[in-house]
Amino acid sequence: MTVTDVTTRTATRPMVRAEGVTKRYGPVEVLKGIDLTVAPGEVTCLLGPSGSGKSTFLRCINHLERIDGGQLWVDGELVGYRRHGDKLYELKAREVARRRRDIGMVFQRFNLFPHLTALANVIEAPVRVLGTPRERARAEAARLLERVGLADKAGNYPGQLSGGQQQRVAIARALAMHPKLMLFDEPTSALDPELVGDVLDVMKGLAADGMTMVVVTHEMGFAREVADNVAFLDGGVVVESGTPAEVLGAPKHERTRAFLDKVL
Amino acid sequence: MTSDTETVRVVPVRHYGRWLTALLVVGLTVLFVRALLDSPNLEPGTVREYLFKDYVLDGVVTTLWLTLLAMVLGTVGGVVLAVMRLSANPVLRGVSWGFIWVFRGTPLLVQIIFFGFLGALIPRLTLTVPFTGTVLFDKPTSVVVTGTVAAVLALSLNEMAYAAEVIRGGILAVDAGQTEAAAALGMSPALTLRRVVLPQAMRVIIPPMGNETITMLKSTALVSIIAGRDLMTAVQTVYQNNYKVIPLLVVAAIWYLALVSLLSAGQWLIERRFGRGFARGGVR
Ligand SMILES: Nc1ncnc2c1ncn2[C@@H]1O[C@H](COP(=O)(O)OP(=O)(O)OP(=O)(O)O)[C@@H](O)[C@H]1O
Ligand SMILES: [Mg+2]
Repeated sequence: MTVTDVTTRTATRPMVRAEGVTKRYGPVEVLKGIDLTVAPGEVTCLLGPSGSGKSTFLRCINHLERIDGGQLWVDGELVGYRRHGDKLYELKAREVARRRRDIGMVFQRFNLFPHLTALANVIEAPVRVLGTPRERARAEAARLLERVGLADKAGNYPGQLSGGQQQRVAIARALAMHPKLMLFDEPTSALDPELVGDVLDVMKGLAADGMTMVVVTHEMGFAREVADNVAFLDGGVVVESGTPAEVLGAPKHERTRAFLDKVL
Repeated sequence: MTSDTETVRVVPVRHYGRWLTALLVVGLTVLFVRALLDSPNLEPGTVREYLFKDYVLDGVVTTLWLTLLAMVLGTVGGVVLAVMRLSANPVLRGVSWGFIWVFRGTPLLVQIIFFGFLGALIPRLTLTVPFTGTVLFDKPTSVVVTGTVAAVLALSLNEMAYAAEVIRGGILAVDAGQTEAAAALGMSPALTLRRVVLPQAMRVIIPPMGNETITMLKSTALVSIIAGRDLMTAVQTVYQNNYKVIPLLVVAAIWYLALVSLLSAGQWLIERRFGRGFARGGVR
């Protein structure tokens, strides 16, 4: 546990640090010891075949799933636990919620609140969770919607938006909480090909602004162009990781090569 | 062969069977209504006389607020029971299940009579501060649980059991991705329930709860058995004195029908309100 203390003092404390993270669903071990470090301001892309545990690992980072073994820190704090003396106390629901405020998440199926307009979706958490005054939240939401290119859709309900527009509202909704880390789980997989570009452009803009991002994606072009690091997962472990040039350009492992041959 | 300029008459399919059945039904209805009107016991004059009598109107008002109070208490309690049944805590789940089991499993009439005669089971209601013996409250049950209180208790507890199942169904109908998205935004479980899950569950909950309200309005008639001062009690009191049973039942029927129509209109308005965001083109 001394690792926490060391990392807290270092200037470049990792935003995400996973050591031997395991996760089981019943008898099946889905994550078999994930090691991964994401530095602040970096974009890390997670690649891998279907069922390799990419989504599961991403959901562990904001404690939507509880890990069974290993250790996982976000910004120097153990996910799901509070340290007091030499004991670890599991966090209560309220404390878990508190830590999730700082971590934005974007889902494959958008998961916008269908009963609220785009603007209301964006201001919901700032107003209700952070207690931001409504007027300030609205002004900021308008700016965020403009940033994702949807200034004119503020009054629309999600059902009146295209998939790509919905996903961009979902990104604005996550950004409204001023997260220090953004998680994306295949944000463009549910979109028609012609709508993918708009969403990727928004994400590129975020990366350029220095947002720390962990992105599960099958968009190799995005990984190559935007990622600082790429990790290839298979069978619940990180098989290979490095810069896009290393992993995508000159993969060392047979499994990585086989996967890349299929998707490229 | 017909030329292009010629006008062609289209002969639609003739539904002779339809005409015949319609004629038959209309005929039977006319005969039935005439039989009703010819009956010397219907007495339209008596109906008119009693329809707006002040004690009948008082009964209407009582029936209305009894319905609304029972529905409000029943719905609030139903939400609590539904959340208990969906909770991870086995004790809460069990208590909720047991409550629903008892109150759905026994006739409402039995429950009403039971609360009406609660004094026979528990003669005094006493509340003391534990370990000190200080008595905060001590009264005979019959003084506290009057006919009206018993009626409200029975109707709302019964409604809680039914509402709980309707609301639980509504909550389960909301996509799990919604709870996840709320959690990822740092919303607490309680906030998620109030702001994300229940508003969406509403769409599924409202149509059956509208029916519940209509059923409740008519069920209030049962409290006449313990003198609940409702519309039914009022007309019963009158016909037990003047034996004009049929005209007074017609008075009651007219009022129930009018109130139910009113409720149906309200239900339509509320359904429209909570359908927002689900129909395309509904921008406000
Ligand atoms: N709630 C669950 N219960 C049981 N098994 C699960 C559950 N969620 C995921 N799994 C299993 O865990 C494994 C990893 O799933 P995960 O969703 O993390 O894969 P993935 O890498 O995201 O795949 P994809 O590219 O298809 O999204 C799969 O074999 C899946 O069947
Ligand atoms: Mg996945």
